[in-house]
Amino acid sequence: MSLAQLDISTEYIGEIVESSTSQFTSESRELNGAPPFGSFVKTLGALPVYGLVFNVCTHSIEPNRRATAYGLTEQELREEQPQIFELLKTEFEAVIIGYGDDQGPQQVLPPQPPGIHSFVFPCTESEIKALTNSGDFLRSILCGNRLPADDLIIASVRNAWEARALEMPYLVGIGKDLCRLIRDDYDRLSSIMRRISQ
Amino acid sequence: MNDLWNNLNGSPNIQDGGEIGVVTQGSLTEGVEMKLNPDRSVEDVKAGKFVVIEGYKNQFFSMITDLSLDATNPEILLYPPREGDQLLHSVLNGSSTYVTVALRPMLMLEQGEEIVDEPRPVKTIPSHFSKVVEAEEEDVSRVFGSEEKDDRFFNMGTPLDMDTPVCINLNRFVERSNGIFGKTGTGKSFLTRLVLCGLIKNKKAVNLIFDMHNEYGFRAMKEGGQGNSFVKGLKQLFGNQVALFSLDPESSRQRGIQPDHEVYITYDQVAVEDVIALQDELQLNPTASESAYLVYAMYKDRWLRQLLSIDGPDVEQFAEDIGANKSSLSALHRKLKRLENFPFMVNSLNGADAVDTMMDYIDRGIHIVLEFGRQTGMLAYLLVANILSRRIHEQYVTKSEKFYASQNPEDQPRHLVITIEEAHKFLNPATARQTIFGTIAREMRKYYVSLLVVDQRPSGIDEEVLSQLGTKITALLNDEKDIQGVLTGVSNASGLRSVLASLDSKQQALVFGHAVPMPVVVKTRDYDEIFYKAMGDLSDREKMEKAEAASAAIFGD
Repeated sequence: MSLAQLDISTEYIGEIVESSTSQFTSESRELNGAPPFGSFVKTLGALPVYGLVFNVCTHSIEPNRRATAYGLTEQELREEQPQIFELLKTEFEAVIIGYGDDQGPQQVLPPQPPGIHSFVFPCTESEIKALTNSGDFLRSILCGNRLPADDLIIASVRNAWEARALEMPYLVGIGKDLCRLIRDDYDRLSSIMRRISQ
Repeated sequence: MNDLWNNLNGSPNIQDGGEIGVVTQGSLTEGVEMKLNPDRSVEDVKAGKFVVIEGYKNQFFSMITDLSLDATNPEILLYPPREGDQLLHSVLNGSSTYVTVALRPMLMLEQGEEIVDEPRPVKTIPSHFSKVVEAEEEDVSRVFGSEEKDDRFFNMGTPLDMDTPVCINLNRFVERSNGIFGKTGTGKSFLTRLVLCGLIKNKKAVNLIFDMHNEYGFRAMKEGGQGNSFVKGLKQLFGNQVALFSLDPESSRQRGIQPDHEVYITYDQVAVEDVIALQDELQLNPTASESAYLVYAMYKDRWLRQLLSIDGPDVEQFAEDIGANKSSLSALHRKLKRLENFPFMVNSLNGADAVDTMMDYIDRGIHIVLEFGRQTGMLAYLLVANILSRRIHEQYVTKSEKFYASQNPEDQPRHLVITIEEAHKFLNPATARQTIFGTIAREMRKYYVSLLVVDQRPSGIDEEVLSQLGTKITALLNDEKDIQGVLTGVSNASGLRSVLASLDSKQQALVFGHAVPMPVVVKTRDYDEIFYKAMGDLSDREKMEKAEAASAAIFGD
C-alpha cells in the first residue's frame, strides 16, 4: 500500500522517536493507544520496514519527573485534573523483522533503519501473511536482545494464525519450525504450543 | 475436525504414489535409511514394499526391509503428549518424532536404461536427500519384464499394494535347480502349481512331478475353501500335454480319475543307492550299505529279490556264505521286508517298464504327474522317487553325452524339471551326497535335468544344495533356522530376514534368485477362472460351444 493511499492523518498509530537497524521506538498517537503486544506494525518510506511490538510503556513526558498517585479513579481524575493526562505519553518498541522491496515483504533487516518521525501503521492481513509464511520471523524473535521471547512468539503466532482464519495446518507447520529453532526443547515447545492454541 | 487431524498426521487420505521420503544415511553393505515424509502414515509403509530411489544418475530399485520409530529428544519418550493434545502430536510428528525406514537397494539402473540380459548389481548408493518414491507400474515392468514382451516371462502376481504383474524369467528359472518353501498351509502347493503352469504353458521344460498328495494332476482341494471348492489340476488345464501316472490306480479311480499309466516297480530295479537313501526312514545301520553291496556283488541286479526270498532263519547262513556280518545282514533283511507290503512292488512287469514309458513321454514333450494315491507314506515316496529319478537321470546322462559327441541339435535332450515334495528327506546333509537328488542339485543343468524342490523345513536340507538353488520362492517361514536355511547363499541376507518373517500367511511370497533381477514380495496371482483362461483352458460353456462348432463343421447343422 503506498503512502498516497493511506489517510495518514487518521490511520497512523505512532511516530518513531528512536530508531536502529534492529529495533525502533515510537510514541503512540494517543495515550494508552499503543498497538497490542505481539502485533505487526510497519513504517512507510522509501523502503517500508516491518516490526513486531514487544514492549509498551506509558510514562511522564519529563524524563526526570514521575507521575504521582492521586487515589482517584481515571474517570474522577479526568474530571478534576484533566491537565495531567497531557503530561503523559505512551511509547512502544518494535523489533524489526523485515522490510519491503519491489517483491513485497522480505524477512531480512533493512539496509537503513526507519527514519525518525516516520509514522507507524498496523500491518494489513496480507502483509502479516507474507511476513509469517515461514518460521523465519521466529528466529528474529529468538535471536533478539532483551525480548520476552516465549510470550512474543505466542502473541505473534496467534496473530499470524488469526490472519489465516485459524487454519490448523499452518499452526502445525509453525510448530515444527519452532521445534527445530528451540533445539527440541520439549518442555518449552509444549508450553508454547499449549498457550497458542488456548 | 477429526479428518483434519488425520490429514495432519499422515492418513490414508493422502494420495498414493509420489514421494514417500528422502534418503538420510546409509552404506553399501548395510543398505540405506530414509526419513519418512511426515504426511505419510507409517502404517501404510510395509516391509517388502517395492520402492525406487531417484538418484542423480541412477535409479535404485529397493525393498523396504525395516521400519523404526525415532525421537530426537528422549524427554518426549518419557513424557509423551497427553491424549487429546492433537496439536502437539502433529507438531512433533515428523520433526522431533519421526519414522526411519531401512531400504535395501537391490538393483541399479541408469535413468532410462533397460535391463538387457544380466541385471547390474548395486555398486554404489544414492546421494544424500535423494527422493524415494513408490514404484510405478512402468518401473515394475521395466525391472521384471512383462508377458506381452516375451514368452520368457511368466506372471507370478503383483507387488504389495500394486496391480502390475511381476514376472519371473522362465529361461533363467530352468537353468538351475529351484526351491519353493513355506510353512505348512501357506500355499506351497499353490505356488508350485503356478510355476508348473508357467513352465508347461511356455514350453520351457518337461516336468516330472512326484505328486505325493495327489494335488497337481487332477482337481485339488482349495485351501480355506468351503464345501465343494476345488481347483483345476494340470491335467484339466493342459489336457494332452500332461500324462497322469499312478502308483495306486485303485485310489485314482475312486477319485474319478482314469490314469494314463499305472506304475509298477520290480525288485530288480532297486539299486543299493536307492536303499541307502532310505537310511532314515528304515533306520538302517551304517553298516547296512556294506552288507547290501556284498549281496549286490554276488547277485548283481537280482540282489534285492534274492535277499528278500530268503526266510528269516536262513539269513545268517546266507550272510556266512557271502562273507557279511550276520547281525547286520539280518537287520537289513528284516527292515527291507517292509518293501514287500507295497502293492506297486512286483517281481516282474506285465507291460512296459514305467521308466521307458516316461522317457517316451518326456521325449515327446509331455509332462508327467505321478500320483501316489494312498501310498502317501514317506517310505514309498522316497523309494519310488529315488528309483525313477535315478533311472531317468541315467538315461539323460547317456542322451546328453550323445549330444555332446554329435553336437547335432536334434540329439539335444529336452530340459527336464523334477518336482519333489518333502525335499528335506531326500536332501538332508546325511543323504544328499549319496542320493540322486543331491547329484542333480549339484551338477545343475549339465545333463539337462534340474530339480524343483518343495519343502516346509528348509533347514533340514543340506547347505551345499540350498546354496546351489537358483531361484527361491518362499512363503511365510517363522522358524529362525528355516529362514537362515532359505537365505543360505544369499549375500546381504539380513534385510530379507525381516521381510520373510513378516509375510502374510496366505498368497504372499518372497521371490529371489536367478530368475528375478531383484528380490520381490509378490501377492501371488489368483488361481481362478481368469488364470485358467490365461493358461488356455476354456470354461465348460466355451468347450461346449467349441465342440458344437466342430461337430457342425464335420456333420453339418
